[in-house]
Amino acid sequence: MTMGTGVTWPRFAGFAAGLLLLAWAGAATAHNIGGTDAAFVAATRGPDPIPFMYLGAKHMVTGYDHLLFLVGVIFFLFRLRQVALYVSLFSLGHSITLLAGVFFDIHADPHLVDAVIGLSVVYKAFENLGGFRTLFGVQPDPRAAVLGFGLIHGFGLATKLQALNLNPQGLLVNLVSFNVGVEIGQILALGLILAAMTVWRRTPSFALMAAGANVLLMLAGFVLAGQQVAGYIFGGAVS
Amino acid sequence: MNPSEQTGRPMAKGRLILATLGALGLATLIVLGVILPAEFNRDPLGVGRLSGLSRLWAPDDKTVDADAGGVARSREYDIPFRTDVVEIPLGDFMAGADRSELEYKVRMRKDATLTYAWEVIGTREPRDFHFDQHGHTTPAPGQPMTVSTYRQGFGLQQRGALTAPFDGIQGWQFSNSSEKPVVVRLRLAGFYELIPSGEPGNEAGIVANVPAPQSRPEAARP
Repeated sequence: MTMGTGVTWPRFAGFAAGLLLLAWAGAATAHNIGGTDAAFVAATRGPDPIPFMYLGAKHMVTGYDHLLFLVGVIFFLFRLRQVALYVSLFSLGHSITLLAGVFFDIHADPHLVDAVIGLSVVYKAFENLGGFRTLFGVQPDPRAAVLGFGLIHGFGLATKLQALNLNPQGLLVNLVSFNVGVEIGQILALGLILAAMTVWRRTPSFALMAAGANVLLMLAGFVLAGQQVAGYIFGGAVS
Repeated sequence: MNPSEQTGRPMAKGRLILATLGALGLATLIVLGVILPAEFNRDPLGVGRLSGLSRLWAPDDKTVDADAGGVARSREYDIPFRTDVVEIPLGDFMAGADRSELEYKVRMRKDATLTYAWEVIGTREPRDFHFDQHGHTTPAPGQPMTVSTYRQGFGLQQRGALTAPFDGIQGWQFSNSSEKPVVVRLRLAGFYELIPSGEPGNEAGIVANVPAPQSRPEAARP
């Protein structure tokens, strides 16, 4: 990585610190829907769209694994149309599995799903580094990858909702509301990420630090996957 | 749109391999050295113990209602019957928490019963003495702990019977906040085992069936 000059190092360190803070804040606010929110969901009978929308948005905004994946996805998307296309593919993917998973009661182990979500961050960062072409000589279609990982992320969302005692009364309305909330939260988070990325891209240091940032994304993805594998093996809660 | 449009300048091959393996290696170190000790009570690298991260871990508590699980009023046990008199000296509140409060428990099997009576000698003021009668399991690392609280309050004596709601350790946290050292005289009878000195439930190292001056050898040491 070319970060040898005095200008880029502090900025790189700042970015790294920001990324770590993001992950830490996410861990502190917990990735599962818990505490009073869980009690609320368990007590709900019948349709209650606004609170479920809020829960969906909250889960997305505090779900650092989803956010890191989004950072990876839009990292090298310079045109707004491309951003819209990729994010729509991601939304399509996770909406399908979120709705289908909860509605048809398809169960998957939350730890394993979250581990794959961590690996999706690694995949995207590796792709951003041109890794597939450089090492294997092929470039899998990134659109298909985003759609496919969208499906996995949706399963992750579904397992969080399934962990709560959802009442069958008003399930469809509440589920769709949660999904709408997820999309709202995603747009909010995306707006912030895009704004920060746009500012960053205008600086001359972007080209120099882009590779390093993606290596850091890869590291974060490996750690996320590792802690979920640990949760799968040893049991117990992982934030 | 050409898929390759979206990637940036590709990384050189050697650097890419190094960066990927480096990220994987560092992530493994973080998970094994930091996350496992802090979140799962496993410490494969020993970093948790050295850094104090292991102390962050605490088992999830599962609270059990002490009245739950009815058992037959008449029961027989294949466990030996025993009686003990335990004299527990406690320092005055100025002596510090190490001296003025401690936990004394015995090990009991589920549904085993003991009868108890204890009194505080050395003060007449009930507000000076607090007790917390409770029991919990001693889970393996990573497993949740089942806890049950029976009574918390101030007072100089308590008499009663206890039937253990689960396999585990049952007993009291005693705290003396008077200006004088006191002795708790605890009498037990029933189906239980004493906990060896230094183990969970008897960390203070109380020795049963000896007078108070000899019952707390750990505290006598400088």
